[in-house]
Amino acid sequence: MMKLLIAALFLPLFPLSIALNGLLVRMGNPAARFLLLLLWPQIGVFILHAARQPVPEGFVAWSLLSSAFYALRLLTVRDLGLWAGFLASSSLSLIWARHGANDFDMHIFAFWFSLPSALLFLLAGALARRFGAAYSGLYGGLARSAPRLSGLLAFTLLAAIATPPSPGFFAMLELLRREDTAPALLFIWLLWGWAAIWLMQGFLSGRNDSDPAKDIGRGGTLLFACILGVMVFASLYLKGGSL
Amino acid sequence: MTLSIDGLMPSCIVSVPMLSALLITFVPFRAQRRVARLSVGMSALTFILSAALLFSYVANPRPQWLSSGWAWGSLYLDPLSSVMAIAVAGISLVVHVYAVRYMAEEPGYARFYTLLDLMTGTILLMVSAGDLITLLVAWHLIGVLLYFLLGHDLERPAAQRYAFWTFFTYRIGDLPLILAAVLLYKAYGTFSLPELFERIAATPDAYLVFGMPLTIAVGLLVALSAFARSAQFPLHTWLPYTMEGPTPVSALMHAGIVNAGGFVINRFAPVLMHAGAVLHLVFAVGLVTAVMGSILMLTQNDIKKSLGYSTMGQMGFMFVECGVGAFSLAIYHLIAHGLFKGTLFLGAGSVISDARKQDGVPHDDVYTFVVERKPVASRLPWMLAALVTVVVPFLVLGLSRWLVGGNFVGQQGAIILLFFGWATGAQLLFSTYRLRAENPWRTMAMIVLSLAIVVAGYTLIERAFDLFMYPDRAIRERIYAAASIPPAIFDPLVAILTLAIVAGWFATYYTVATGKPRSADTSPARLALYSLVSREFYAADVYALLAQTVLALSKRMNVWSRWL
Repeated sequence: MMKLLIAALFLPLFPLSIALNGLLVRMGNPAARFLLLLLWPQIGVFILHAARQPVPEGFVAWSLLSSAFYALRLLTVRDLGLWAGFLASSSLSLIWARHGANDFDMHIFAFWFSLPSALLFLLAGALARRFGAAYSGLYGGLARSAPRLSGLLAFTLLAAIATPPSPGFFAMLELLRREDTAPALLFIWLLWGWAAIWLMQGFLSGRNDSDPAKDIGRGGTLLFACILGVMVFASLYLKGGSL
Repeated sequence: MTLSIDGLMPSCIVSVPMLSALLITFVPFRAQRRVARLSVGMSALTFILSAALLFSYVANPRPQWLSSGWAWGSLYLDPLSSVMAIAVAGISLVVHVYAVRYMAEEPGYARFYTLLDLMTGTILLMVSAGDLITLLVAWHLIGVLLYFLLGHDLERPAAQRYAFWTFFTYRIGDLPLILAAVLLYKAYGTFSLPELFERIAATPDAYLVFGMPLTIAVGLLVALSAFARSAQFPLHTWLPYTMEGPTPVSALMHAGIVNAGGFVINRFAPVLMHAGAVLHLVFAVGLVTAVMGSILMLTQNDIKKSLGYSTMGQMGFMFVECGVGAFSLAIYHLIAHGLFKGTLFLGAGSVISDARKQDGVPHDDVYTFVVERKPVASRLPWMLAALVTVVVPFLVLGLSRWLVGGNFVGQQGAIILLFFGWATGAQLLFSTYRLRAENPWRTMAMIVLSLAIVVAGYTLIERAFDLFMYPDRAIRERIYAAASIPPAIFDPLVAILTLAIVAGWFATYYTVATGKPRSADTSPARLALYSLVSREFYAADVYALLAQTVLALSKRMNVWSRWL
């Protein structure tokens, strides 16, 4: 049981999720946040397998409650960095509902769920450098003044809420195979969509007369778009879209 | 993928608009007109390919399933996909052409055409999807793309707000379909639609989920998804407010996208034919939506909002048709509705502009009746007019139906549709009586003749369409049987409704004929009804309250657990 509880620290279940969210808030460097979020759940999956014991059903219920809790909190969070951390807490806790899958699948599963949130940290860093804060609704109108940055933000947010054909979508399909947890999962998924569009509107729409030079460069855009593209194609190649 | 012409054509239909979107995004066009030229050209090519596909299918009516080599990405060529593809491509082409000048002054011209092309390609992917995953991916993406199209004007808060409403309602519709697909895959072990439908036909009731037969559970989930996508009550509030988006998007949405509910019900016909209870629910929801949409349409003073509610009413009728088992009629309805509603939307701006200069209303019988409210010239004897109203539509509809299929009296679905047709025809004739024309006999004769032509034409086309869409007679009969209600309930219900409607008409005729003044009743019940209609049945208010409650809960949670 102790090993499972330690795993619950890394595959964050409320209130143990305080460790991940606390670290993410305290880390200032976006690249460090990016790496932390990619590595953290992998450690959790490793511990979960090392525990070599069946996961009690109570953990699955706990994970769903924890995920719903963070999904609900997302609705009124406006700071992109904090939002990405909460989304990661909500999505990564769902890995518990996938217990029993083989080692590789679980690691890949955790990776697909953490990557879009981790990418959001990089975008939050880019926004904070240009505008002083990555806060939705504070300046707005990015779609006009910084089209490349806003395009990447829109695509990453959509990938983060498991919009097809992102890997998260296929991961959610896998999770939905359990009938008893399916209604809760659908509810959580709905909240993600609500929160993401709400957040995105605060950045993209509205009037902003700031300098277009504040947009990111073509090289950075291309690199970021390549990561998103590779993410989609790797998911399709590895799984072929199958459940 | 099969490399025959027949095999390549469906793939081209989907990929040509996608290619157009890619070219617009990545090729730096200097002039806007080049973007428009490319997009319109590709759209025209898509339409030509769709037409060729339909003709090819009519010449050789054999469904084909085209695999992509992966678990998803397959396409299915059957009557439904070939008919829907040409309808979608045609409406999209008209919208593309219209937008060339309409959007010329708007910022984000290239972005608009990119989104329009992506939307066209995605809808075409949805209608020709050959497996569950492809269907889900396309179904999902339509909601996302529609959000960006409706919110094209980034500086208008109203456009953003209603784009968000639409997105959220579409998400409500996306999720049940996903669950339905997962349940089907789990039970039958395949994504491929033709294979899946074969297995369902072999063992429809072999599985139980959530304590009910799988076909009922899946049928219910599909119906829920269709309700959200086609603005059925109470998930209708987004539709009338989508007018905040650009007019070409409104036209595309009202003429095409909103019809997706009717499409998905037809696509899952092999499931729904085993889920009679779900079809009854579809009928009830469609009826309520049709009535509410029509009432709200009549009470609007904004032409675009009125058209929005008219679409809601039409969607209700489409679901009524599905609910009585007339699946192919629903497809015919959605295409016909798409064409006329698209025309109305694209023409709405010109009508408003012209009306500002000159009302253009001819000073004929209708004008004198509606605007000048002049006293009667002459009218038909009320008893004769009442009898014509009751009998003529019944005869016209009955004879038309009898011509195409003698045994229609045995089909409850046909009877219900005849009932609706009869009520509509009678209302039309009743208007003639109230019109108080100079020559009432001539007016009545012309309207009866028009009614006969429209009904006969409609019946013949609908019959041909039915035979094309569902050539297997056993399937057609199975769907009608699933939609039927026990005779002990059905017969008295039809009899009571008929008597009530006929008695109402006679009473109204009598009142109008005796010239009693209109009552200026301001009773509390009337005022309550007025406020109910003017507040659009409080549906949007209820949702706003729910949303505020959830947001307040979220805020409170964030305050309480700010350290976690």
